[in-house]
Amino acid sequence: MADEMTADFEKRYNGGPTIRAALGLPVGRSHVTVLFGPSGAGKTTVLRCLAGLERPERGRVRFASETWVDTDVGVMAPPQARGVGYLFQDYALFPHLTVAGNITYAIHDLDSRERRVRLDEMIRLLRLEGLEDRRPAQLSGGQQQRVALARVLARRPRLLLLDEPLSALDAPTREQLRGELRALLRGQRMPTLCVTHDWVEALTLADQVAVMAGGRILQTGSPDSVFSRPANAEVAAIVGVETVTAGKVVGRQDGLAAFDVAGKQLWAVEASGKGEEFYLCIRAEDVILEIGAQPSSSARNHLAGRVTDVRPAGPVSRVAVDCGFALTALVTRQAAQDLDLKPGTLVTATVKASAIHLIPR
Amino acid sequence: MNWAPIVLTLKLAGLTALILVAVGMPIAYWLTYSRWRWKFLAESVVALPLVLPPTVLGFYVLVAVGPKSPLGQGYQALVGHPLAFTFEGLLFASVLYSLPFAVQPFASAFGSVDPKLVEASWTLGISRLATFLRVTLPLSAAGVVTGVVLSFAHTMGEFGVVLMVGGNIPGVTRTVSIDIYDEVQALNYAGAAETALVLLIFSFVVLSVVYALNRNMWVVWPMR
Repeated sequence: MADEMTADFEKRYNGGPTIRAALGLPVGRSHVTVLFGPSGAGKTTVLRCLAGLERPERGRVRFASETWVDTDVGVMAPPQARGVGYLFQDYALFPHLTVAGNITYAIHDLDSRERRVRLDEMIRLLRLEGLEDRRPAQLSGGQQQRVALARVLARRPRLLLLDEPLSALDAPTREQLRGELRALLRGQRMPTLCVTHDWVEALTLADQVAVMAGGRILQTGSPDSVFSRPANAEVAAIVGVETVTAGKVVGRQDGLAAFDVAGKQLWAVEASGKGEEFYLCIRAEDVILEIGAQPSSSARNHLAGRVTDVRPAGPVSRVAVDCGFALTALVTRQAAQDLDLKPGTLVTATVKASAIHLIPR
Repeated sequence: MNWAPIVLTLKLAGLTALILVAVGMPIAYWLTYSRWRWKFLAESVVALPLVLPPTVLGFYVLVAVGPKSPLGQGYQALVGHPLAFTFEGLLFASVLYSLPFAVQPFASAFGSVDPKLVEASWTLGISRLATFLRVTLPLSAAGVVTGVVLSFAHTMGEFGVVLMVGGNIPGVTRTVSIDIYDEVQALNYAGAAETALVLLIFSFVVLSVVYALNRNMWVVWPMR
C-alpha cells in the first residue's frame, strides 16, 4: 500500500477566523498540491501547522506511519522532528552567512567531504555557480529564491512546503522561474504543498489543486477540473478562469499554434514556441455565442456545441456549452433571452486566438 | 598614585559584566520569547534598579546578604565567612544593580532578529539552543556588546550600593568612586583629581574602542 500523508485539523485565532484543513498527499514521490486562494484565506496557516510552527487546537496530522499532531492524545511533534523543507515567502536566508554557509547550514552533521559533495550537487542543481561566497544581500531576488531552495533541499526533506515561492520576484523573473520550479519539483522524490494566489502559478505547478477561502478548503481536484468545473459559485469567483482544458500542439503557423482539444481544432497565439502539452485557458467573457451552425474561418475558432446549462448570475448569465469539452460563456441576461438559450440549444461558440491563455503542462 | 582601588574596580566591573553575560542572556531570551501573560511583572523587576535609588537597593541587598537572612546564613555555612562587607557580597550587589543594563540591550537585540530566521532554522532540524548560538546570537552581536559595555561602565561608577553593601575596606571593597569620595572628604584634592582622571580616560577609551568596532551601533540606550 502506498504511503500517505493525511492532515485534518482546526486552528483558531483569537478574534480571527477558524482555519480548517483536510488534505491528503502521497509520500515518497513527486506530487505537487497547490493550495490556491485569495490572501487572508488561511493558506499560510495550513503550511505553518504542517511544519510544526503553529499548534492546531484540534485534529490530526499523520505522515506515513508517524503521528505529527494528535490533539486527542496531546502529540505535537516539534518542527525539528518533522523533516520538512519550508520555503518562506521572503526566503528567510541567514544574512550573516554566505551562500555556501546557508546551503550547508542544516547538514553540519555530515563529514566535510560529504558536505562538500552535497553542496556541489545543490550548486549545480540550482545553477548557483560562482555565488558560493556571496552574502544574501548581494543576490538578486531570483538567486535568493534558488539559494533558499538549495538550503531546504540539501538536507533531503520528506515534504516540501512552499509559501508563495514566486511572489517576491518581479514579473519577468517570475515568468522564467515558474517553469524552472516546475521542472525541479518534478525531479524530486517528495510531495510538495505550495501556497499561491496566482492562478497561472497554480496551473503550472499543480498535480492537484485545493481551493481555499475564508479558512476552509472548498474544492480539491485536478487543475483543469477545479478551474473548469468549480463546485460552486464561491470557487468560480476565486478561480476566475472558467474554461481550462488540456490540449496538444498539432501544428504551428505564423506565431499561432493549432491544438487538438477533444477532437476539435483550436488556434491560439503562442508566446514561447516551446512545448507540446498545454492548458488552454479561456475566460467566459471572451466567448461569443451565436445560434446555429456557423461557417468556419481559419483565423477564428468556431466551435459547434450544445448548451447544457444556463445559470443567471446578477446582470449576466453563465452558459455552459458542450463542444467536445466543457466551455463556459458569459452573456447578458437580455442576450440569453433573445437567443433563447436553454439546455439543448445548438450554438456556435467563437473565441479569438489571442484570448486563449496558454500554460505549459 | 594609589592603584589598588583602580585594580579592584576593574576586577569588580569585569566579573560583573562576565556574570551578567551568563545570567542576563537566559533572562533576556526568556523575556523576548515568552508568551506568559504576567511577563510584564518580570520585566518590571529586571528594570527596577534603573529607578530605585542605589541606597534603597543597597539596603535590601545588605539585609539579604546579612547574617540573619537565609542567603547570608547559607553562604556562611558553605564558605565559612559572612557575605556582607566582602568582595563577593559587593559582586552580588553589582550584578543586581547592573542587571537592566545588560538584559535590556540583550533582549532588544534578540527581539530585533527576524523570527522567520529562527523558524527557518527550526524547520531545518536545528535545535533551539543551536539556533540561538548559530543565528540569534551572531545577529545580536552589537546588542550583546552594548550590554556588556554598559554593565561594565555602570559598575565602574557605582557608589551608593558599594557604600551600603561593601563599606570601605581597602583592597576588598574600596572602589574608585569611594576612594575619590574619601580623598575629597580628607581635602586631598590632588589625589582625587589623579584617580578621577584615570577613570575618565579609561572609560572614554573603552567606549571609543567599542563604538569604533560597532560603527552602526550608536544607540547608547536601546529601548524596546
